Amino acid sequence: MANTEASLKEAMTSIEGTLGVALVDYTSGMALGTLGGGKDFNLEVAAAGNTDVVRAKLRTMEHLGLQDEIEDVLITLGGQYHLIRLLKARGSNGLFLYLVLDKGRANLAMARHQLKRIEAELEV
Amino acid sequence: MRTAPAPVTALSPMLQRLADERATGALMRDRGTLYLAEGQVVHAESPATPGIDVLLTTGGGLHRDGWWEAVARAGAGQRVGRYLVDSGRVPGGALELCHLGALYDAAFFALAPTRTPARFRYGVSHWIGPVRPVPVDAVQRETLRRRELLERIWPDAAGDSAPLVRTARPVDAPVPPARRRVLDLVNGVRTASDIAQELGRPAFHVLVGLRRLAAAGLVEAVRELPAATAPGRVALPEVTADPDVALLRRLRDALEAL
Repeated sequence: MANTEASLKEAMTSIEGTLGVALVDYTSGMALGTLGGGKDFNLEVAAAGNTDVVRAKLRTMEHLGLQDEIEDVLITLGGQYHLIRLLKARGSNGLFLYLVLDKGRANLAMARHQLKRIEAELEV
Repeated sequence: MRTAPAPVTALSPMLQRLADERATGALMRDRGTLYLAEGQVVHAESPATPGIDVLLTTGGGLHRDGWWEAVARAGAGQRVGRYLVDSGRVPGGALELCHLGALYDAAFFALAPTRTPARFRYGVSHWIGPVRPVPVDAVQRETLRRRELLERIWPDAAGDSAPLVRTARPVDAPVPPARRRVLDLVNGVRTASDIAQELGRPAFHVLVGLRRLAAAGLVEAVRELPAATAPGRVALPEVTADPDVALLRRLRDALEAL
């Protein structure tokens, strides 16, 4: 039974190339927990900003009339991957995990797979 | 009206001082209470927003009986949170997230600007018990960020506390399900806090939804009627910040003597 901190720690240590991870409430844009990041990468700012990404995508799906859910969102930069995974479990309405990966070191397929496992372990 | 974001210290100098001296107790403000343990925020409550009991029982999949049993068994020992997890009623992660959500939500309202002075009672702790303490700085920062977020969505706070009403404008764009549920409860009587209680959702989330609905022109605050057109309502004098203590004592004594 993992708590927030343990889950973030596990993401940080077990997913190769992770630079930072945050658990975010996307209605308020608040980071409920962050790990990693640093002076040149403020995870709280990134968390708040990425709520707009999730919201925009959800709104677009609404406009298109798609009756489906977002599993994850991948954003590819020159040197980083940003991975957003929406939590589905009951009671976790409106949370997502946000993962920043070093593109040179990360294995994207593995990272997605492991993030899925961490989500399940968070048991929310 | 747009105001420049105030520096963090301006939010509550008293709270800052209590954090610096690593105080333990309850900070009671006009619109809510913050519980501190060794200078960190461990819990918050506000009448403006549903408590963690409502959040857990409506959104978190906990049965009301389970909640009350936990309060009965572990309330006196101030370990209700621990008991809920240990007895397998609520997963640890879920309790933590729900509690953090409730804490920041209540803190937003408790730290709202007020003219009433705050009071601090040393040594008081909350019966929910230790879940996950948050630094005072983080709470103040988050509260300011939330104020700015609301301001950015729709810069009119009139609908935050007044009863709300639907406008005549038809819904011309799809409204997301969560916001739709908020819209459906707007009836000219309910306030944002009432809607939050009804839905079992944090009141700040409801405010975000309502400001977006206001920005879309779908919802507005009920304009207060002039006194003359509202018959049958007794006009009470404004609550004074300086109560007549002697008079209150006499009243209490008289009531006790009945």
